[in-house]
Amino acid sequence: MNNWGIVFALLGAVLAALMAGVGSARGVGLAGEAAAGVVTEDPSKFGKVLVLQLLPGTQGIYGLLIAFITLAQIGVLGGNAQMSIAKGLLYLLACMPMAVVGYWSALRQARASVASIGLVAKRPEQFGKAMIFPAMVETYAILALLVSILAVSGIGAINV
Amino acid sequence: MAVLPMQRISLCALKKDRKEILEALQRRGVVEISDTLVEEGVFQKTDTASARTVLEKGIAASRQAMAVLNKYAPESKSIFSSLEGKKEISVEYYNQFGDKRDETLELAYRLIAIDKNIAENRAEIPKLQTQIESLTPWLGFDIPMDFKGTRQTAAFIGTFPPQITEQELDQNFRESNIEAVHVEIVSSSRDQCCAFVLCKRSDSEHVDEILRMLGFARPVLSSAMPPAERIQQLKESLLSLQKNIEGAEDEVKSRADQRETLKFMADYYSMRLEKYEVINHLMQSRRTFVLTGYIPQCETDALETMLSQKFDAVVEFEQPFEDEDVPILLKNNAFASPVESVVESYSLPGKGEVDPTGVMSFFYYILFGMMLSDAAYGLLLAAGCALCLLKFKNMEQGMRKSLKMFFFCGISTIFWGVLFGSYFGDVVDVVSKTFFGTHLTLSPVWFTPLNEPMRMLVFCFVVGIIHLFTGLAMNFYQLALAKKYKDILYDVVFWYALIIGLILVLLSQKMFTDIVGLGFILPAAVGNIAGIIAAVSAVGIVLTGGRESRNPFKRFLKGLYSLYNITGYLSDVLSYSRLLALGLATGVIASVINQMGSMVGNSPAGVVAFILVFLLGHTMNIGINTLGAYVHTNRLQFVEFFGKFYSGGGRKFHPFTVNTKYYKFKEDHNNE
Repeated sequence: MNNWGIVFALLGAVLAALMAGVGSARGVGLAGEAAAGVVTEDPSKFGKVLVLQLLPGTQGIYGLLIAFITLAQIGVLGGNAQMSIAKGLLYLLACMPMAVVGYWSALRQARASVASIGLVAKRPEQFGKAMIFPAMVETYAILALLVSILAVSGIGAINV
Repeated sequence: MAVLPMQRISLCALKKDRKEILEALQRRGVVEISDTLVEEGVFQKTDTASARTVLEKGIAASRQAMAVLNKYAPESKSIFSSLEGKKEISVEYYNQFGDKRDETLELAYRLIAIDKNIAENRAEIPKLQTQIESLTPWLGFDIPMDFKGTRQTAAFIGTFPPQITEQELDQNFRESNIEAVHVEIVSSSRDQCCAFVLCKRSDSEHVDEILRMLGFARPVLSSAMPPAERIQQLKESLLSLQKNIEGAEDEVKSRADQRETLKFMADYYSMRLEKYEVINHLMQSRRTFVLTGYIPQCETDALETMLSQKFDAVVEFEQPFEDEDVPILLKNNAFASPVESVVESYSLPGKGEVDPTGVMSFFYYILFGMMLSDAAYGLLLAAGCALCLLKFKNMEQGMRKSLKMFFFCGISTIFWGVLFGSYFGDVVDVVSKTFFGTHLTLSPVWFTPLNEPMRMLVFCFVVGIIHLFTGLAMNFYQLALAKKYKDILYDVVFWYALIIGLILVLLSQKMFTDIVGLGFILPAAVGNIAGIIAAVSAVGIVLTGGRESRNPFKRFLKGLYSLYNITGYLSDVLSYSRLLALGLATGVIASVINQMGSMVGNSPAGVVAFILVFLLGHTMNIGINTLGAYVHTNRLQFVEFFGKFYSGGGRKFHPFTVNTKYYKFKEDHNNE
């Protein structure tokens, strides 16, 4: 039982990469379908719709980021991987914002992206505005990322 | 940083000069034509629809002919061809083209006809091939396929279902008491059995009946030639078809040198089409015409001199009315003008708004740099853009501006990367540790955000507050220009006082300074005074926020609601945390890549693996993070910054100009 701390901590890191990654994969896929539809009609819009397609992809990167920072902190990437159960649970909790918000914000952002791709298909000159709608959703993924970063990097100093 | 002041232009000239004046105006590209005049008496508009149809056909023909050329003689293009821009030609060339036009148009139609011909020939080939195929089983048969018999005999040539034999047929005839029958199986395959049956003419009806019962069918294609000869003939025509196609393709290829002429013709017709569209808007009498429109003030003198020197024309300039819908043209210095397109993609300044480009460009570069924040990435970005800008002098204006923007963004990225000590992430550490066994670190000039995220977060918020306050200051400036001094107090000063007051209160609280790790704390007295100032401004906002309502109760509620905007400021400031998040994302992913590359260890294979992972990984990282930085810089500008003072709604200046695809004129100065 004494070794369970690292298990929970690793679970947190894995969930952050896993859920945010799955969310982004689904999101980018969804937007990609819409983008491909637009390009069949007008290949010259490729650059614009590609940007919109990639927008829901950032959550996966943030998930990776949290996973990596956590792995480095808990000593999986070389170092001492011993810790108490309480500390392991703290790491797990710290990763949760990124995992959960990452997953759902990627999906919602993808839907905004799909709508924006529709907008660009009809009014390509409104690209600047079309880009902002999905970016609004991303704010919450960024806030979650921030909380996770601050929490993960703060836990090391706590003595439990 | 400015919106160029516009003047209204009215020009009256002789109709005989119409063509030349319009072409000169078109090449200059400084006048936007508008039809503000009403038709009356002498002056009438002319309808140019039929002329335009002809021109549109010309454009379509040249495009189609170019498509044909590209199909058979593809143009060799480098991947950078989109950067090369339009070729320059002289006005003389344009004028001379009038003589060559018919010839070129003929060529275009000829190319289109050849293409059609090739397509028809291509369609013919499979038809011949099926004929040959259906005749092949008859190859050993030496009688023409349409042979019906002699005077005394009747012949049946056709196919039976497979696996029928001569004996079987003979037996069938014998059973029906027909003696004089000759049956010959020419060939037999799994699908069918080709046979020749000869009988006495008197028996022919009877034989026909029996044959039909056995499933006899006459061939679909018959000819007066024996099959072998017919096949030979078909093969020959197949060959000649192929030769035709090749010949036609060669003819198209031989015209590949005319591609440029065709391109020019497409441009020529588009230019003339645009001119005719303008003529549609002109007021014309029998001998004169009148043109009205808008022109940037700085262009008026040059245009007037040009027109009055060459033509008998009267040009008048006047100030547009206050409420007129004047088109917007932005003019900025070399540092700021690259982000004009960003402003434009939001919206151009509306009535009474200043051009935000200058102020914005400064923040744009800073924010972008903070998000990408890797010196090596910034160097690659800046160097790549600089190289393209130097190599392709003739680039499209829009493209040139974008590249310039990313160049400045790259410079700023280098700056922040050096401050935060990031060069391809931590590549120096990793390489020195893995391959040289030493420990070398390029230490940051300022601090490493990953090690002190709270410090970086506070810094991001400070940048955010400065950005937002600059937005408020822009509002101040705009209101001052409009002489709305009361609004300045209510909408700007109160907010400044409230926010600054609240920040000072926070800074005097021990809890807050501990959280953010500041090394100082303001004395409680300052906090108290700041609190009072904040409270006073809050009351001011509640009292004035709803000042457009007459009803005092409604006014109070609206005032309360506008104080609620304080949450908007809170979320605006928090929004700048993306600077930290995106900056860390770049750095951490870069170190993940370096770590992955170094996993094979210190060996020749390890070096190769490291180089591969390094190239692939960092290329991807640059791409994704540049995109992220671009999108989120735009967001911070559009939502947080513009939200404070800018709503846009201006109409873009669309001058009457040369809107061509392939060529542009040499003498032009404003021909974008």
